[in-house]
Amino acid sequence: MLKLISHLLPPELYERLRRLPDSVHAGLEEIRIREERPLEIVSQGRSGFLTEDGGWSSNPQQAFRPSGELCRKLLGRLTGHSLYAMEEELRKGYITVTGGHRVGLAGRTVLERGDVKAIRDIGGFNIRIAREAVGAADKLAQQLADPARRSIHSTLLIGPPRMGKTTMLRDLARIVSSGKWPDPAMAGWPGRRVAIVDERSEIAASVKGVPSFDVGPRTDVMDACPKAEGMMMMLRSMSPEVIMADEIGRAEDAAAVREAAHSGVAVVATAHASSLEEARGRPILRELLHDGAFSRCVILGRSRNGFEARVVALQHAAPTAREPTGARAPEGAGT
Amino acid sequence: MIKAAGAVLILLAGTLIGFLQAARFAKRPRQLRELIHGLQRLETEIGYGYTPLPEAMRRTGAHMAEPAASIFRLTADRLESADAPAFEACWEETLAGCWPGTAMRKTELATLRRLGSTLGMSDREDQLKHLRLAQQQMQAEEDGARDDQARYEKLSRSLGILIAALVVILMV
Repeated sequence: MLKLISHLLPPELYERLRRLPDSVHAGLEEIRIREERPLEIVSQGRSGFLTEDGGWSSNPQQAFRPSGELCRKLLGRLTGHSLYAMEEELRKGYITVTGGHRVGLAGRTVLERGDVKAIRDIGGFNIRIAREAVGAADKLAQQLADPARRSIHSTLLIGPPRMGKTTMLRDLARIVSSGKWPDPAMAGWPGRRVAIVDERSEIAASVKGVPSFDVGPRTDVMDACPKAEGMMMMLRSMSPEVIMADEIGRAEDAAAVREAAHSGVAVVATAHASSLEEARGRPILRELLHDGAFSRCVILGRSRNGFEARVVALQHAAPTAREPTGARAPEGAGT
Repeated sequence: MIKAAGAVLILLAGTLIGFLQAARFAKRPRQLRELIHGLQRLETEIGYGYTPLPEAMRRTGAHMAEPAASIFRLTADRLESADAPAFEACWEETLAGCWPGTAMRKTELATLRRLGSTLGMSDREDQLKHLRLAQQQMQAEEDGARDDQARYEKLSRSLGILIAALVVILMV
């Protein structure tokens, strides 16, 4: 796992991390680097600290503490020694790097008229290792299949951070786009045109416009594009049958989801919430759930046996303008 | 006979020293100009192209004359090497290596060092401000260097010969 991000780490840090036990390597999820404080490692959902001699310990006292110099080097590598070229990323607080890995940043923010303009004095890094889990959504896909349309239900995936929402979304895109449904009953279903609006470059991890993950052969990716705008652009220009987006939650996202639903396009999206009740507590999501923009909701969580997904059929879904298969909304409905 | 040969050698050496000194006076404004052009180019790369620093340095270096070109080129090489330190360290290392080969002085070295501590470390506007400030300082140095050239270039040439002649006269 560490090899995937070796190009990001200063050699001295990489050498230290390489000496970690194999079991930690295999399940490596996050490397959290905080200047002058213990270096934390999250592996298979467990948090621990890297010790001075490259071991793994739960005691922060013995932990290796990265120096300011090391953090400067790391930042230099992550940004290509050019913070100015990353203004947009710094405003959002994270950088997506080659391979789809995401690095969250913490430091002192610079404000301009009350809005965050940039982060300076960066002293905290959270390197989240992205890994492609082909087949992760096989079980889920069967439950989300919509036999009437021979496609996927409009679905909202919810769960707290690090519960595999994006991984599921990516794998669903692959299944729907390739038409390789894991159930023999769905064997003859055609592959669907999928449009992914990848605002944070996490779903497809595009590098210069080309996805680095397998998102299926009939998939178009709008990379680093604001979700609401991207969904409208895709609706207008790429005639998708399924639209996927990550972490919806703003009013304009909801409008775009509705627009898509009303043009007969299935929407698969994720949102931060740990339960359906919590999702209903957020005004935008509540409206969407209530409107019937989604017909299925998946609650992702983690138990002792690994990841868990619970599918809830949203019964109260009001009859929407969503037409049966084939009868798509007239051309230009999205404009 | 030997005395005559010695006198000729001293004269030659004195002349040479004078000419070399004069050449330094002539070179300094030219190299400063070249560096200012480099900084201007860097400003464009950063301000309008959002080019990452290693690439921006490489492009800047490609369009310049030595020895200023190598400052940018070598920094780019260092930044792209496998165990690259932070930018400032790369820049310092390059400056320390290249400086003896130039005709420039400590004041412009200090300006470039100051620039090195900020390049790549802040947003675009701030980068442009620092680059412009460095250019202005270099410009002032260039004006001074031109005055020096006008005043001392010929002087040091003749001074070399004259001092050599004086030594020869005292010897005889």
